[in-house]
Amino acid sequence: MTYGGGVDVGSTQTKAIILSDDRRIVGRSLINTGANVSQAAERSFREAAASAGIAPEKVAYVVGTGYGRYKVNFGNAQITEISCHARGANLLFPNTRTVIDMGGQDAKGIRVGENGDVKDFVMNDKCAAGTGRFLSNAAETVGLSLDKIGPISLEAKKPVRLSTVCAVFVESDIMSYLAEGKTVPDILGGVHSAIAARTVALVRRVGIEPEITFTGGVSRNIGMVKALEEKLGLRVNVCDDSHFIGAIGAAIFALERALGGETGTGSGKANPVAAPPASQPAAGAH
Amino acid sequence: MASTSVQEISTLDSILASCREIAQDPEFSSAKRWLAEHPGKKAIGCFPIYCPIELIHASGMLPLGVIGAGNQIEITHADSRFQSFVCSIVKSTLELGLTQRLKFLDGMMFHSICDPARNLASVFQRNFPDMFVEYIHFPQNFASVLARQYLETEYRRILEGLQKRSGHAPTAEDFNRSIGLYNRIRAALRKIYQIRTDTPHLISAAESFVLTRAGTLMAPEDSLKILEQVLAEIPARPSRPKDRIRVVLEGSFCELPPVGLIETLEEAGCYILDDDFLRGWRWFTEDVPIQDNPLAALAESYSERAYYSGTKHDTRETKAAHLIRLVREKKADAVVFQAAKFCEPALFDYALYRKALEDAQIPHLLLEFEEKTWSFDRARSEAETFVESLLFD
Amino acid sequence: MAQAQTAAKTDYQGRIHNLQKDMIGRYYSRLTAAAENKSEKAIYMLISGNPVELTEAFGLIPVYPEVNALQLAVKKQSLPLILAAEEMGYSTDNCAYVKADVGMYFAGRKTPFATIPEPDLILCNYVGCNVYLQWFEHLAEYSKAPIYNLDVPFFRTTSDDPSEEDVRYVVKQLEELVEVLERMTGQKLDYKKLQRIVELSGETGALWSEIKKLTMERPAPYDAYFDSVMMMAPLYCLRGTEDGLWFFQETYKEMKKRADSHEGPLPEEKFRLVMEGPPPWPYLRQFRDMFSRWGAVAVASTYSTVGGIWEFGFRHDPLRPLESIARHMLQWNMTNRNFRQRYQQIKKYVEDWKADALVIHSVKSCRLFSAGQGDMREYFSKQLGVPTLLIESDLEDPRYFSEAQLRNRVDAFFEALEHQKMVAAK
Repeated sequence: MTYGGGVDVGSTQTKAIILSDDRRIVGRSLINTGANVSQAAERSFREAAASAGIAPEKVAYVVGTGYGRYKVNFGNAQITEISCHARGANLLFPNTRTVIDMGGQDAKGIRVGENGDVKDFVMNDKCAAGTGRFLSNAAETVGLSLDKIGPISLEAKKPVRLSTVCAVFVESDIMSYLAEGKTVPDILGGVHSAIAARTVALVRRVGIEPEITFTGGVSRNIGMVKALEEKLGLRVNVCDDSHFIGAIGAAIFALERALGGETGTGSGKANPVAAPPASQPAAGAH
Repeated sequence: MASTSVQEISTLDSILASCREIAQDPEFSSAKRWLAEHPGKKAIGCFPIYCPIELIHASGMLPLGVIGAGNQIEITHADSRFQSFVCSIVKSTLELGLTQRLKFLDGMMFHSICDPARNLASVFQRNFPDMFVEYIHFPQNFASVLARQYLETEYRRILEGLQKRSGHAPTAEDFNRSIGLYNRIRAALRKIYQIRTDTPHLISAAESFVLTRAGTLMAPEDSLKILEQVLAEIPARPSRPKDRIRVVLEGSFCELPPVGLIETLEEAGCYILDDDFLRGWRWFTEDVPIQDNPLAALAESYSERAYYSGTKHDTRETKAAHLIRLVREKKADAVVFQAAKFCEPALFDYALYRKALEDAQIPHLLLEFEEKTWSFDRARSEAETFVESLLFD
Repeated sequence: MAQAQTAAKTDYQGRIHNLQKDMIGRYYSRLTAAAENKSEKAIYMLISGNPVELTEAFGLIPVYPEVNALQLAVKKQSLPLILAAEEMGYSTDNCAYVKADVGMYFAGRKTPFATIPEPDLILCNYVGCNVYLQWFEHLAEYSKAPIYNLDVPFFRTTSDDPSEEDVRYVVKQLEELVEVLERMTGQKLDYKKLQRIVELSGETGALWSEIKKLTMERPAPYDAYFDSVMMMAPLYCLRGTEDGLWFFQETYKEMKKRADSHEGPLPEEKFRLVMEGPPPWPYLRQFRDMFSRWGAVAVASTYSTVGGIWEFGFRHDPLRPLESIARHMLQWNMTNRNFRQRYQQIKKYVEDWKADALVIHSVKSCRLFSAGQGDMREYFSKQLGVPTLLIESDLEDPRYFSEAQLRNRVDAFFEALEHQKMVAAK
C-alpha cells in the first residue's frame, strides 16, 4: 500500500491528510498554526499519520501547500493551494467545474477541468472584504459566536443593505443599523448577502460553470451557502471535509508522484519542452 | 411637446419630488417614456463632464446624461473589468451597459476627462460593438488660439458621426435654435444658483441638484418649463434663514454624490452657495453667442466662457485662483472639497488648493464620497465638527 | 511537475548593461552640472511621444521627471518622498511617480544619482496620459517656470492613421513651440541641425526595432521586459544624439551575437511571455526572480513602447522633421493610443513573437495603463484563448508589493501552464 501526504499550512490552521493508493482518506489532522509554522506542519503531519495508524516514514511522498508551504521542511514538493483546491474538489465532487473558496483571509474562484486541472483562477487576497474576516467582525459586533450567525441570517425578513464591504467599517455600519432598531437576523442577512454578491462578482471573472463546489472554512456556514446559491441561481456542493480540500489535493499530487515512481528527492518530474506550444494552447485554455 | 406628467405638477414641492425621483432612477424611465411618445426619435448618452449637447440636439436627437448608476444598482459584472482602485462611476456606467439598461440609446459620447474614463470608452466599444461610441478630444492648450480652431474641426468630425445615426445634417439655424434653447436652460440654472448665493434659505443645494440632474434625463423643452416654473415659485417660498456657515463646494464635477449626502452636509449646518455638480451641463458662464458660425461659437465658448473645472488645465491662471475669487465673491466662510473616491483629477487639485486656501486663510474641509452610499453618519460627523469649529471660533 | 528551477544567473549582465549605466551616469552628471552652475538651460518633458529632437536642436538639456522617479524607486528612495508629498496633501490614490517627484522637488531636488536642475521651461507633451497635465501644472506652480501645454489629440478613431487635421494641429503647435524656444534661447532654429537630429532618431529607432525583433528567436537573447526597461533609458535620455545612436549600434551587435549563438538570459527558456504594464521598480529583482524560476522569459512588452513604437515600421524622417515628430507623438507611442489598440498591439506580440502567455502587471498608480485591464484579461483569455495572468502591485510605491501573494499567483499560473504543456506533449 502506497501512501501520499498533503499538508496545508494556512495562516490560522494547518491541515494534513493521508491518502491510500485507492484514493481513500485514511488519516487526517487539523490544528492551529500558531507562531511556529514549521513545527505546526510537522505536528499536523504526525498526527494525521497516527490517526491512519501508520508510521510517518511510511508515507512515500509529501506535498506542502498553503501560504506556509515553504515551511513544510520534510515535504518533497510545494504546490500552490489553487492547484490543490482544484484537485481536492475534483476528488470529492468529480463534476466540479468551478470552485469557490472562502477562507479566513482570502477568497478564490477557480475554474476546473474534468481531471481537476486548473483552467483559470482569480484571487482576492489584498483586502479582507468578502472573506471570513468580514464574518468574524460582524459576529463580534452583534455579540454572537461565528457558528451561530449563519443559521440566524436565514431568519432575515428584510436584509439590510451594507454601504461598505470593508471588514473594518462593517462594524460601524452594523452599529448604526442596531441603533436604528434593525433586527439581528436582518443585519446578518445583509452581511451574508453582501459577501455573497462580492464573491460571485469575483468568481465571474473566471466564469461560473456548474457544478460549483464551495470550499474553505466559510463553507461550513449554512447562511453563506444559501446566500451564494441565491446569488448564483445555482446549487453549490459542500461537504464536511471542505476544510481539508487543500490538503486532500496536495495528498493527491503526492500520491500521483509516489505511484509515478518518484522517490521524493525533490527533483521533480522530467519536463520535456515539446514542440513549441501554439499561442492558443490545448483545449480548455485559460 | 411636453409629456403629460409635467402639466399635472403645479407646486414647487411636487416639482422637486418628481425631479428627485427622476434623478434617482437608474432605468431612464422618464426619457424612455418621452422616446415612446416621439417615435423615430433617438437618444445619445453623454458621459461627464462636458458634452457639446447642442450638436446632438441640432441633429434631431435627445442628449441624455449617463452619469453612473447612483446607489440603486449592485455592481456585479463591471467589477471584473475595472479594478478596485478605479472610481465607482466608471464601473457603474459600465454596469448599466452590461445589464442592458443602455440598449435604448443610439450611442454614447465620452471624452478626455481622465484616464479611467478614456479607457472606459474603449471598453464600451469592445463590449457593445453595435453601439455608436464616440470619443471627443478636448484641447488642453488654452494659451494658444490654435486650440479653438482645432475644437471646431473636432466638432465637425463629431457631427459626421452623429449624422450617420440621425440622417439629418443640421443647418446653422438648427444649431442656433438648439444653442438658444440650452442657453435659456443654463441661464435659468444660473439664476437658481444666484438665488442660492443671495438667499440660500429659499432653495437648497440638494434641490437645485435634483433639478439639474433631472434636466439631463429629459427633453430640454420640458426641463426649461420646469425651471421656469420653479423660478416663478421660489420667491414666495415660506422659508426662514438658519444659522449656518456659508460654503462653496468643489470637486464633485463628475461622479454624482447621493442626494442624501448633500442634504446631510446642509443639515450639518452648511449653506452651500455654489457647487460644481453636473459641471458639464452648466459649463458656460454666459450665453453662447448666436452667430453665423455656431460651431466656432461653441468651440470658442468652451474655453472663453467657461466655469473652472478640474479637468481643464488652463495655464493662463493658477489652479486655485478661481476658487479664492469665488469664495470672496460669494462672501463664503469656507470651502468644502468633496471629491469622489479614487477621483484622480480632483485629488490632484486638492494638493494645490490646500496650500492656496491655507495661504489665503480660508478654512476648508476635505470629504471623499462614493455614489454608492446609503448611510451618511460618518460624513455628518465630519461636517458637524467642521461647522462647529467655525461657529465657535 | 511543479518544480521551479533555481536559475543561478537570472539577468543579463553583459557589456551593454555596464555601457548603459555609464551613459546614464554621464547624462545625470550633465544634469547636476546644470543644476549647480546654471551652465545649460533645462527643459522638462515627458517620456511618451515627445519632441526632444526639437529641444535638442536648441541645445537644451531634457529632464524627465518620470525617469527620475523610477530611478528613485529602483534605489529604494521613493517612499520617504512619497510620504512627504502625502503630507502636503497628495492622496494615497494619486500616481506615485508624481508624488515621488514632488517630494524630491521639495527636498532640494537632490537625489543619490544627481541634482536635478530647476526647469527653464516646462513642456507638457500631452499624449494620452491625463496625469501628465496635472503633474506639470503642479511643477509649474511650484517652480514658477513657464509652461507650454503641447496638446496632442488622442488617437481616438478606428482608422489606421490620425487625421490630417490632427497632424496639422500638432505641427502648428510645434511651430509655436519653436518661437517659444527661440525667445528663450535667443537663437534661431538651425533647420539643418534639426534634420540631422531627426535622422539620428530615425536610425536609433530602426536599430531598436531590429533589437526587438531578435526576441522572436528561440531562445530569446534577452528578456524583452526586464532587460528592455534597462535598455530603454538611453532611448529616452539620449535620443537624437550620436552617443545614443552608438549605444544602440553596440546593443544590436551584442544581442545579435547572442541570438546567433542561441544564448538566452536563462539556462533554459521554458515559457515565452508578453508582459503588459510597468514593472514594480522598487522590487525589480524579486519580481524578475518570480518568473525566472519557472524558466519564463519575456519576448515582448508594452511598457518598453511608452517612449515610442518603432517595431511596426515608423521612422523619424529628416525630410519632414516636424511632421514626423508630430506623427510620432500622435500615433507611434503607447500612451496616445487607445485601449483597444493596445489589445491589438499585444495580440500581434503574442502571435508574431510566439508567446505562450500574457502577464498583466496592474499598477495602482497608473490608471492609463491599468484601468480596465480586467477587460483586457477577458478578451485575451476568454476570446482569444491566451493564458493570461493578472497581478497587482505598484510601479513606485513600495507599500503595495506583497511578495508572498504575488508569488502564490505566479506559481499557480505556471503550475497550470506546465501541466497544460505536459498534456499537450503527450
